[in-house]
Amino acid sequence: MTLKKIIDDTVRVVLVGHVDHGKSTLIGRMIYELDQIKDGKYQELKKTSEKRGISFEWAFLTDALQTERNQGITIDTSQILLKSKKRNYILVDAPGHIEFLKNMITGASSAEIAILLVDASEGVKEQTKKHSQILQLLGFSNIIILINKMDKINYDKKKFMEVQNSIKELFNSLNLNPKFIVPISAKNGDNIQKKSKKMLWYKGLSVIKILDDLEYHKNLDKKNLRLVVQDVYKKSDKRIVVGKIYTGKLRSGEQITLSPSESLTKIKSFESWPESSKEIAKSGECVSFTLEDDIFVQRGQIISKLVFAPKLLNCFEGNIFWLDDDDVDQKKTYTIKIGTGTYSVKFEEIKQIYELDKTTKNLKTNIAKNDIAHVILSSNALMPADSFSENIFTGRFSILSEERVVGGGIISSIDYPNQRKTRNQQLKNIIPINLSVTEVDRLTKYGHRSGIIWLTGLSGSGKSTLAKGIEKKLFHKGYNIYVLDGDNLRNGLNKDLSFSADDRMENIRRTSEIASLFSYAGFIVVISLISPYRSERKKARAIRPEIFKEVYVKASLDVCMNRDVKGLYAKALSGEIKNFTGLSSPYEEPQSPDLILDTDHLGVSETINKLEDFIVKHFGIVQKNY
Amino acid sequence: MDHLTRLENQSIYILREIFSTSKNIALLWSLGKDSNVMIWLAFKAFLGKIPFPVVHVDTKKKFKEMYDFRDKYQKEWKLNLIKGTCPKVEDIDPSLPPAARSAARKTEGLKNIIKKYKFKAVIAGIRKDEQGTRAKERFFSPRSNEGKWNIKNQPPEFWDQYQAYMHANFHMRVHPLLSWSELDIWNYIKRENIPVVNLYFSRNGKRYRSLGDKDITKPIDSMAKSVSDIIEELRVTKISERSGRDMDHEEEDVFEKLRSSGYL
Repeated sequence: MTLKKIIDDTVRVVLVGHVDHGKSTLIGRMIYELDQIKDGKYQELKKTSEKRGISFEWAFLTDALQTERNQGITIDTSQILLKSKKRNYILVDAPGHIEFLKNMITGASSAEIAILLVDASEGVKEQTKKHSQILQLLGFSNIIILINKMDKINYDKKKFMEVQNSIKELFNSLNLNPKFIVPISAKNGDNIQKKSKKMLWYKGLSVIKILDDLEYHKNLDKKNLRLVVQDVYKKSDKRIVVGKIYTGKLRSGEQITLSPSESLTKIKSFESWPESSKEIAKSGECVSFTLEDDIFVQRGQIISKLVFAPKLLNCFEGNIFWLDDDDVDQKKTYTIKIGTGTYSVKFEEIKQIYELDKTTKNLKTNIAKNDIAHVILSSNALMPADSFSENIFTGRFSILSEERVVGGGIISSIDYPNQRKTRNQQLKNIIPINLSVTEVDRLTKYGHRSGIIWLTGLSGSGKSTLAKGIEKKLFHKGYNIYVLDGDNLRNGLNKDLSFSADDRMENIRRTSEIASLFSYAGFIVVISLISPYRSERKKARAIRPEIFKEVYVKASLDVCMNRDVKGLYAKALSGEIKNFTGLSSPYEEPQSPDLILDTDHLGVSETINKLEDFIVKHFGIVQKNY
Repeated sequence: MDHLTRLENQSIYILREIFSTSKNIALLWSLGKDSNVMIWLAFKAFLGKIPFPVVHVDTKKKFKEMYDFRDKYQKEWKLNLIKGTCPKVEDIDPSLPPAARSAARKTEGLKNIIKKYKFKAVIAGIRKDEQGTRAKERFFSPRSNEGKWNIKNQPPEFWDQYQAYMHANFHMRVHPLLSWSELDIWNYIKRENIPVVNLYFSRNGKRYRSLGDKDITKPIDSMAKSVSDIIEELRVTKISERSGRDMDHEEEDVFEKLRSSGYL
């Protein structure tokens, strides 16, 4: 049926280009050419024009907002539905003004095809360049360039060729390839629907014909499976995982792995309302399903096949766009969101900055609003992700600061090692046995998740006091909580270890393995250990990164020495104790701890309260029972 | 994946996102075709039971058919329904033209109910193609608790990434149907067999294309007696959907005024 076919094919097209190069006019003209001006709308706008004593302009159709008409520019993306004989189009009108980069990205990010408009009389302008760069950053491969306002240069071929050459040069420098370059006059309708009689030298197709014929299909079903978990619903006795399949296919009964937790299980069955006997789901679908095993599943995880799983990264590089009023602060911890997963990151290195209104490379060091930059990001957590070139959905991210979206970017992970454990395990043929009581059973019983709270800090900073305090407090609230104290462990398990660098490392390794066991038993385990080396704390985190929280109990050396509850500093100063952290042995401050408790300035109960809030926020469970 | 299924999945994704990231959620049920589609999508997203209340802001000036529809489907769909009331028209800004002034009652009623139940997220079935200012909307659109919409400073929204941030004095308007067109809505109603108020169907050569208050909503000339008829009619019409809604046409910018102060 022909009618059905029309409905099935809807393409989103974004229009970009320098301000006043004619985007809104083009949209208005296309609506007219395809004979789709709604009677009411046209009358209304004509009346408005008459009332104001100005001639009707096509742009009025798109610039429906009062404020816009007053300013004469488009202030936000809007979308217009168009129908040709062959397809439905959603035209997204992106604004041309510099300060509205945010809206342009909002408009462009959902489109399959991009149209770049260039004024024939003005040629390539700043925003032409910058918008081209953004199209590259957003991963566009279907780009049509329209050289507009040909009427202004008397439909002259030579002048058109000049503009065409400069835009080709620009695209070459960005590794972009335009699919078509068309000379048009949106105002007069040349080469929009019909070929223009005024430009017989142009042998190509009209704009609408090009759009109708353009193959933009991405074939996402054939790519590797990537499913992001949105949530887990508990319905009667079922735990239902809900998420979206970005790419690939998912069948019931199929074995899958979850990242970053690296657990393995099988899809049991699909759930739906109304009930159906679904056996397979494909890219683009929001699915609901149960799993064969009661493993821990949470929002943010990525489901894939084991062999073609995404990389687990703690560092990657990529291009970002920055939208916040504040510059990027390299000391600050930001959150990035890949799919639904959130990870704390720092800007490890800024390699290159491109300003919006300049296209030349420059030497400035701060990433400011509307900049595009090439950066290295690092995280304490393991982030499941792909390179953007392999999978656009799991290869891109948004950047958040205090939960506000402040930017976004694309990932290039080729030079960064995969931190996946299962690869090594497989090599060693170690297969963990399935336990009779699963983590989920424990979690449901205890009413909280298990967690590893790693308190690090100088001797005398207050770790033990804090550990004892929080243990008592949360225990009485029904939490399954236990403290592993460095000193206590050294009385038994770690009796054989000295304070040499090697033995300190072994001390930490053993302690973290025990912490991991406690966590598997369903505990919130609090470790109170000086743990002076960053590298060792990093290894401790790597055992169960998904539940590991590094808490820096911060106190200045002076304060600690004054406190000297155990009299150790006195002994160290007199030389009785060697290798004493802070004095004769280094303490490496955490660079991006999950929580800082400043005991120089906070009292004991205040510190305990802060830690309690932190633990409840991260490990408490609000069960969604409905 | 066909167009309707793509839209359906986008809406389900958004419904699940807000449920995952927000407390105190309400779904607005105006009893019109769009909000019935929304309820249908919520059933799909949450597998047969909507895990938050459904709110009808009642102007007390709706058509009898609409109230009958509400009572019938509240029971049949087992909805946790909250009925909100609206202030008298005399208490509304007298500078607004008459129909808009009347419509603004609903805005006030909505504000009151948001305050009373401390809703942090309000799901509404507006669509971009209905009206110019709605075309400027985001899927997740933060509002001050007075309902104010800062159109010039909206959060960026890209790649399924929505800003879930909610300041203490703000709530989030969530618009899962933003990308749907009127024709999509009817095609989906047909595909899924979703019930709608019978005022949408032609009687004596007239039908309602958009439903609002009795006194400020007019029917259009139409012979469309079934969902299929309506779909055929929409394929050829050039009359805009809200042409029967008086308040849109009194003054050029009145709808924008209504919306920036919190109207849907």
